[in-house]
Amino acid sequence: MMEEELVRLQEEAFDSLSAIKHASEFEPFRVKYLGRKGLITGAMRMLGQVAPEDRPRLGQLANTIKKEVEEKFESRKAQLAVTPISAPQAQQIDLSLPGRSIPFGKLHPVTQTMEEVCSIFEGLGFTVAEGPDVETDFYNFEALNLPQHHPARDMHDTFYIDDGVLLRTHTSPMQIRVMEKENPPLRVIAPGKVYRCDSDITHTPMFQQVEGFLVDRKVSFADLKGVLSVFVAKMFDEQTAIRFRPSFFPFTEPSAEVDIACVICGGDGCRVCKQTGWLEILGAGLIDPEVFKMVNYDPEEYSGFAFGLGIERIAMLKYGINDIRLFYENDLRFLAQF
Amino acid sequence: MKFTYNWLKQYIDPAISAAELADRLTMLGLEVEFVQDLFADLGDGVIVTKVLTVESHPNADKLVLCQVSAGREEYGIACGAPNVRPGLVTALALPGTTLPSGLVIKKSKIRGQESDGMLCSEKDLGISEDHGGIMELPDSLEPGEPLVSALGLQDTLIEVDLTPNRPDCASVIGIAREVAGFTGKTIHQPFQADLAAKNSKDLPFAVSVEAPDCPRYCGRLLKNVQIGPSPWWLKKILLAVGLRPINNVVDITNYVLLEYGQPLHAFDFDRLAGGRIIVRKGKEGEKIETLDNVVRDLDPEMLMICDAEKPVAIAGIMGGGNSEVSAVTSTILLESAYFDPLSIRRTVRKMKMGTDSSYRFERGVDPQGVPKAMERAVQLICELAGAEPVAGMADEGSGVAEPAMIPLRPQRVSDLLGMDLSADHIRTLLGSIEIRAEKADQHTLHVYPPSFRVDLEREVDLVEEVARLQGYNDLPSALPLVPMTFPESDSIRSLRKKVANIMVAMGFHEAINYSFGSEKYFDMLGLDQDDRRRKTVRLLNPLGEDQSVMRTGLLADLLAVCRHNINRQNNEVRLFEVGKIYLPTDSVQPEEEEILTAVLSGRRYPGASFLHFKEDAVDFSDAKGVVENLLQELQIPDVSFDFCVTYTYIEPGTCAGIKSGTTEIGCFGKVATNVLKNFGIKQEVFFLEMHLEKLNGLELLPKAFKPLPKFPAVKWDIAVLVPDAVGGGEMLKAIEEYNEPLIERVEIFDVYRGKSIDAGLKSVALSVTYRSHEHTLDDRTVDGVHKKITELIISNFNGKLREV
Repeated sequence: MMEEELVRLQEEAFDSLSAIKHASEFEPFRVKYLGRKGLITGAMRMLGQVAPEDRPRLGQLANTIKKEVEEKFESRKAQLAVTPISAPQAQQIDLSLPGRSIPFGKLHPVTQTMEEVCSIFEGLGFTVAEGPDVETDFYNFEALNLPQHHPARDMHDTFYIDDGVLLRTHTSPMQIRVMEKENPPLRVIAPGKVYRCDSDITHTPMFQQVEGFLVDRKVSFADLKGVLSVFVAKMFDEQTAIRFRPSFFPFTEPSAEVDIACVICGGDGCRVCKQTGWLEILGAGLIDPEVFKMVNYDPEEYSGFAFGLGIERIAMLKYGINDIRLFYENDLRFLAQF
Repeated sequence: MKFTYNWLKQYIDPAISAAELADRLTMLGLEVEFVQDLFADLGDGVIVTKVLTVESHPNADKLVLCQVSAGREEYGIACGAPNVRPGLVTALALPGTTLPSGLVIKKSKIRGQESDGMLCSEKDLGISEDHGGIMELPDSLEPGEPLVSALGLQDTLIEVDLTPNRPDCASVIGIAREVAGFTGKTIHQPFQADLAAKNSKDLPFAVSVEAPDCPRYCGRLLKNVQIGPSPWWLKKILLAVGLRPINNVVDITNYVLLEYGQPLHAFDFDRLAGGRIIVRKGKEGEKIETLDNVVRDLDPEMLMICDAEKPVAIAGIMGGGNSEVSAVTSTILLESAYFDPLSIRRTVRKMKMGTDSSYRFERGVDPQGVPKAMERAVQLICELAGAEPVAGMADEGSGVAEPAMIPLRPQRVSDLLGMDLSADHIRTLLGSIEIRAEKADQHTLHVYPPSFRVDLEREVDLVEEVARLQGYNDLPSALPLVPMTFPESDSIRSLRKKVANIMVAMGFHEAINYSFGSEKYFDMLGLDQDDRRRKTVRLLNPLGEDQSVMRTGLLADLLAVCRHNINRQNNEVRLFEVGKIYLPTDSVQPEEEEILTAVLSGRRYPGASFLHFKEDAVDFSDAKGVVENLLQELQIPDVSFDFCVTYTYIEPGTCAGIKSGTTEIGCFGKVATNVLKNFGIKQEVFFLEMHLEKLNGLELLPKAFKPLPKFPAVKWDIAVLVPDAVGGGEMLKAIEEYNEPLIERVEIFDVYRGKSIDAGLKSVALSVTYRSHEHTLDDRTVDGVHKKITELIISNFNGKLREV
């Protein structure tokens, strides 16, 4: 009799717990079943009236039931707490409408790319050196083993200011300016604007470049390959294939062009890589002994490598930009994309 | 340098596809620019045909109807060519063929008459530019055979983009030498004949070299030359590489130039006065009309080829019309020479003309190959123009020494390449491209560069050869071991980055403009005639007037960018640029100063949703807010503003100067209306400008921790009426300078003029925050201080309390 009563009480409590829809209903439930004058407490008080031989068993049952109801009560409370309680209120916010935000500006994509390039080399311990845009013929050409009337000057369509003064055609003059002042070991990059009189879909008369060089005892071509491979892996992708092929620059010997597998087609051949599967991104080489002589370094004692890359080209590849002139139109629809 | 695969094959068989060949050459430093299958489109659709009959077209005067044979088949074709005639062997394009121009041949009715295809000119088929009539093919060709195979047109054109150090590869034989290097094969020399003996005394012509710029001048005389068209094989090669066939003699000199890399020139001997050649410098006042029909002035710097009376060619660059080989020429003097590269280069620059010939001389031809190339041309002229050579040749000039031996240390090679290479291995590599090396001692090789490798002068040049032949990709890769040092960074660079980041956070996009601009901008900005910004660094060779002077300010470019964007319906502009301005100095180089300029125009929050933000346009306070924010973030001390600057391009009354202490660091304001009009901008634009170098020199405010207050603050307001002229900021400053420790902060929260306020007055509402660091403030204490402050304001600024 007592046993049936207890089980029925438990079922009743469970049912009414399940029926609770609102937080306000928990307190009346607690009072009704679990309170000091509640039904379960009341039933437990009745235990004194049952036969002594049944008492331990029924007492245990009553305790279990009380515990179970308490547990279920707590879990139901927790359950209701996470479900949105005031559904009508939620409907007042249209979550699909845009939020209120104050727009940021953006750094120019060339600046962003430049920073990325510089930070890779700075991470390798390279110091940044900047120099004048208006350079002398000496620093831009002569000291870099490009004497007057050297055919390689044809590769540089130079803007002249005056006889012997020009707009730098590369940031390589910083090699000379730094080496004149300091002694090896040197690890330097020289970012900056450079100028060539050329303007079409792949050329602007001003563009940006990073020149880098490292000079110490026993620096080899292998070191050049190692450093530039790290750069390519960080700038593009660890998996990007890279190749070095012979080229010519008057200020390096041996000289190399560095190609990476085309980032557009992955090396299968496309319009961007002219079907070769490769993209030229860097010029590099071991610093020519003539350059060392210009700054009074002994080429037998020191060796070093230098490299140069065009920032716009890297940015174009990275973002898929097809016309270099867009960089210098400063159309906000363009600038806001990066 | 252009050549075709089949042409190269005459000297060496690479035994790999053209694409593989291109790849090998590229990896050897001879970068292949493009590879193109020639006449691939013509296929079997264009065939040899023979014209059988020609009848007039019933409906068109200029057309005829032909019956043509293509072996088994016959076709009826309408044709308008002047040279169509029975018996002519020519080219027929059948329906379905696409011609190089993109024209697709169809079976069609032309003026009511059926035509089964089209008879083609050389231009129609992309063989040459000749469009004078349909092709005239040799009778020996079999009608019906595809034209491509009948003429041996199938070939692959390869263009190598040569670096300036490799003139030896500006020749097919030069390319063949590189191919020999990696295939291990031997080059098949085009001819074997012995060189003519040097015989300058008994020759029927004379050569004298009077200028040191010509170390070697060889000449031979050829008689009974029959000038005429070249045979097809020769024309075909010239056409494939983009040269126009002229006549057999000229074509041969061009052919040998491409074959050996040695430019040649043929003179009509009968037109050379005195039957002699004098190599000398030009004279002031002398002129020559070159083969391109341009009359050119000479000067004493220019090396000339002359006869007894006059210049007949510009040495190494171009011949003169006065000695040109023509249809009536019967005796030619053939020139093969070595000219000083620098001399040729100077003349090229001065005359602003470059030719295939000057390209090679400027970079250096093989001085020892001069007579050999001449002999090759003699052989071809005899063969193809029926000429008879006069025995003996002239070979004048001081001569060019054989290249010097270069000592090479294998250890040095290994050190520089980061890879151990043995002396034997190095010898083998160099030997593969005809560079002889001998072991001198245990540590040294003696290397003898061939005369055609004018670029090999130093040990390091040979190191590059070894690296190149070994293959750059075979060389190891390693990271250098260098002592650790801290990479110092330039302070102006850090400042520039910081400024840019703050501007971006305030919603500005970064612009980058060219460092050169237009002088017109100075007038558009209304700068005074003596404004220092009109003093510019000028380019000698600008791309245009609008890019002719180095910038002395950034505002004009940014206004131009504003217009660009506004014209493209983007009226909300917030842009900044950090860039250099270039100020002329007494020294060679100008002063380069970095400045920040920013422009604001249109809505306050560009691009922000209209749902939340109104269409409020920026005003003076926005510009000032940007300046204040920027300077605060940069920790610039003691900032003050005044209206003491006046620039013509700033709207009067809005022209504010910015100072830190006594240092002028910039200005801001509203761009003057007439300036905006000049730039074609129809909305207000505000701008600010700051000198980075000046900011960089300032001692910055320290960033120091202040303990967080433990006791609450109270805010009390003051509302006063003051004369209009009183500056709100001055009131704040007066309270600040009162130095009351309990005052934490003073703000102006309202300024009001108008209704219920007497004219000439304004109401200013201030909010004062009081706080003690020792205890919670009670009303009595605050009231005491507040009264003093209120009195201070009233007495200092002639104010009175506003009754609310």
